[in-house]
Amino acid sequence: MMTDQHPLLEKFRDQIQRCSRCGFCQAHCPVFGGTQRPALNARGKMLLLKEVLEGRLELGQELVESLFQCTSCASCAANCPSGVDVPAIIKAARKEMVGLGTCHPAFSGMDQVLDESDNIYAEDEPGDFDRQRGGRAEVVYFMGCVGQYREEEATEAALDLLDHLEVDYTLIDEVCCSGVLEDVGFAIKPRLARANMERILATGAKTLVTGCPYCYRTFGKQEAYAPLREAGLEITHLSQFLAGRDLGLHSDLKVTYHDPCDLGRHCGIYDEPRRTIQAVAPDFVELADNRQDALCCGAGGGVRGAYAKNSLVMARRRLAQVEESGAQVLLTECNSCVHNLANAKLRAQKFKIMTTPQFLMELIEES
Amino acid sequence: MKTETKDRLRAILGEANFSDQLIDLVSYSSDASEHLHRPDAAAWPTSAEQVQAVVRLANEEGFPVTARGAGTGLSGLSVPSRGGLVLDLGRMDRILDISIGDRVAVVQPGVVYADLAKALEPHGYMFPPDPASGKACTLGGNVGTNAGGVKGAKYGTTRDYVLGLTVVLGDGRLLRVGNRAMKSVSGFDLTRLFVGSEGVLGIVTEIILKISPQPLATATTLAIFDDLEDAGRAVSGVMASGVIPSVLEIMGRETLRAINQNTDLALPEVDAMLLAETDGCTQGEADYQMERVVEQFRAHNPREVKRAESAAQAAGLWKARKSCYPVLARLRPNFMLEDITVPMSQVAPMLRGIQDIAARHRVQIATFGHAGDGNLHPQILYDAADPAEKERVEAAIHDLFALAVELGGTLTGEHGIGLSKAPYMDLEHNPVAMELMRSIKKVCDPNNILNPGKMGLDG
Repeated sequence: MMTDQHPLLEKFRDQIQRCSRCGFCQAHCPVFGGTQRPALNARGKMLLLKEVLEGRLELGQELVESLFQCTSCASCAANCPSGVDVPAIIKAARKEMVGLGTCHPAFSGMDQVLDESDNIYAEDEPGDFDRQRGGRAEVVYFMGCVGQYREEEATEAALDLLDHLEVDYTLIDEVCCSGVLEDVGFAIKPRLARANMERILATGAKTLVTGCPYCYRTFGKQEAYAPLREAGLEITHLSQFLAGRDLGLHSDLKVTYHDPCDLGRHCGIYDEPRRTIQAVAPDFVELADNRQDALCCGAGGGVRGAYAKNSLVMARRRLAQVEESGAQVLLTECNSCVHNLANAKLRAQKFKIMTTPQFLMELIEES
Repeated sequence: MKTETKDRLRAILGEANFSDQLIDLVSYSSDASEHLHRPDAAAWPTSAEQVQAVVRLANEEGFPVTARGAGTGLSGLSVPSRGGLVLDLGRMDRILDISIGDRVAVVQPGVVYADLAKALEPHGYMFPPDPASGKACTLGGNVGTNAGGVKGAKYGTTRDYVLGLTVVLGDGRLLRVGNRAMKSVSGFDLTRLFVGSEGVLGIVTEIILKISPQPLATATTLAIFDDLEDAGRAVSGVMASGVIPSVLEIMGRETLRAINQNTDLALPEVDAMLLAETDGCTQGEADYQMERVVEQFRAHNPREVKRAESAAQAAGLWKARKSCYPVLARLRPNFMLEDITVPMSQVAPMLRGIQDIAARHRVQIATFGHAGDGNLHPQILYDAADPAEKERVEAAIHDLFALAVELGGTLTGEHGIGLSKAPYMDLEHNPVAMELMRSIKKVCDPNNILNPGKMGLDG
């Protein structure tokens, strides 16, 4: 037995050894699919960590390109015959490496940014959505950094939709949930978590609706945000909040849906978005890989920032499936997916990419 | 490997298709077997010309070249046990032609099995071998190992579908064998020589495959036997009945027990469970064949025979068989999955023998497999961290191989010899056969550049 040199990784010793190296994850891993490089596949990562635990390899700089290049999409875990929870292991390995002073600069940059700024982009001016902030209401809408600073139109549409539905909601002076830091080797900032929780609870709301699947995961599952749950606050993603409402809308367009990994594989939310979409757009088609098998857009786990080129390649593979489906509109429930997919879209690809609320608001405005 | 050699490889392949980074060397150090050895460098060729240039350089400089597909093999045949260069053919992944008129598909070696299946499906065609790793494994790897799957009894293995190959020999020459014709007796059957040759004779850069129309209908039945001998006789009876089932799978007692401990399938813990599928162009054709199969099941004291009345029921009957691998893979920290194959009439004696061997060496062996072609998968479950147990496992494996050969069978039906079974080649092949194999190796690869150390050819 090795000494307890890597305590975080040590907890996963059994799982890492359990990887039978069958290689079936190659059929699912988006990083492998985009690069055809086995060192970046889940099995490649497990082989590295097995050698680390056996004392044959140092957890150093040379491993960064593999271990820090994972979108945390969890498709490997969903399809692993040996039941290895690769994303949890990668998370532990990254924390271990950061502890040893090894990290991808893009990720240490994220941590530094959130030491100094309240949002992941270090932007000074939050978007002005001209809505009540920090009032008292039944619902708090939490848009997330991508919705606030990068995909403002998607957020605008989400808010317009809430207005249209006459939901009693308020915004808050939100700060980054900082959940992503847990994935890239660091930890949620207590300062930020405190600020969010205080502001959310001060509204007296019963329900917290997030526009961002990752924020939803963070509020719903992370220990740092346990007080929200203890306060009895219902935490939902906008897609759940909308599911089952009769919107009285109709579209003849051929529509498809991209399952965001954070909503789908990580939280099991597959049906709610489809219910809303299919009620409005009966000409609905599934992408070749969908639900538990959905192909990642390539943005997650910090990969868009750290390995931009490969992130785009992954997005293009997903867009090729959209093209194959013949859909005119690609809908998704994640601003980050929209952001990456829209960036990667080729001029020849004529379909539109938007969030479900954007699609619904277009129909409302047309009618 | 010398710096100048690496520079020359970079010049041949391009910067993006060569690596000596640690992460690549580690990822190419193993396959799905327990063998482990790092290469000195890795390359992703994109053309036959690049492969030729690399092999010529290897001859000049004297480094080993190990070709690799997806690395899903179970015998260590793509593990670079003597270092050198791993040649990952995964980026030569184009389907060059699908001709329904000629009933052929022409592919590069890096095409994933499932991608060809997907491309053939709209035409109503398939490439039948259907290996369990089909979603990840490559066709080049299928050729290298002569891959098979659950449908072997009726549809055979990869060998039965390879019509022609383009191969870079061990001295760098480019060989073309076979053609697109459905039959040929023109010269020696060199094509077959290269199928299953584990990359020791040449590196395949293009494959002409025969494709088959997809059956339109299937029928599925599950039968449970308290007694292994009865199940064995049922298998022989089915195979002699005049119909050939597309699937005839067997699961042994230890496997059923393991599945029960880890799922809620609640299977009866009997000696053997048989799963049969028949297929045809019409439901009537599939049903007629299934009636013959069921007659044989009923004639041999089954505890129960369950015939699927719908696709959903058929999927239910498949559940136990499909859970074998994932369940057994989780039971103990390590496993070895063997693929001994015996004449169909010897399936029951082999299964009984496996139980005896497990008891004798105090190791856990769960067996399932393709009863229809006598190909059994004893999966030996153990903990590699326990040296005493590992020793017992090795002794048990030796006895398994010896018994398979004694019963008129073979060490391997579909996984290949690689490193795992190299020490046992003499059990199966007489000295003349071994000598001839070594001579052929020498002719194709005079400097022993290609995948050295495999198949027991060079000690």
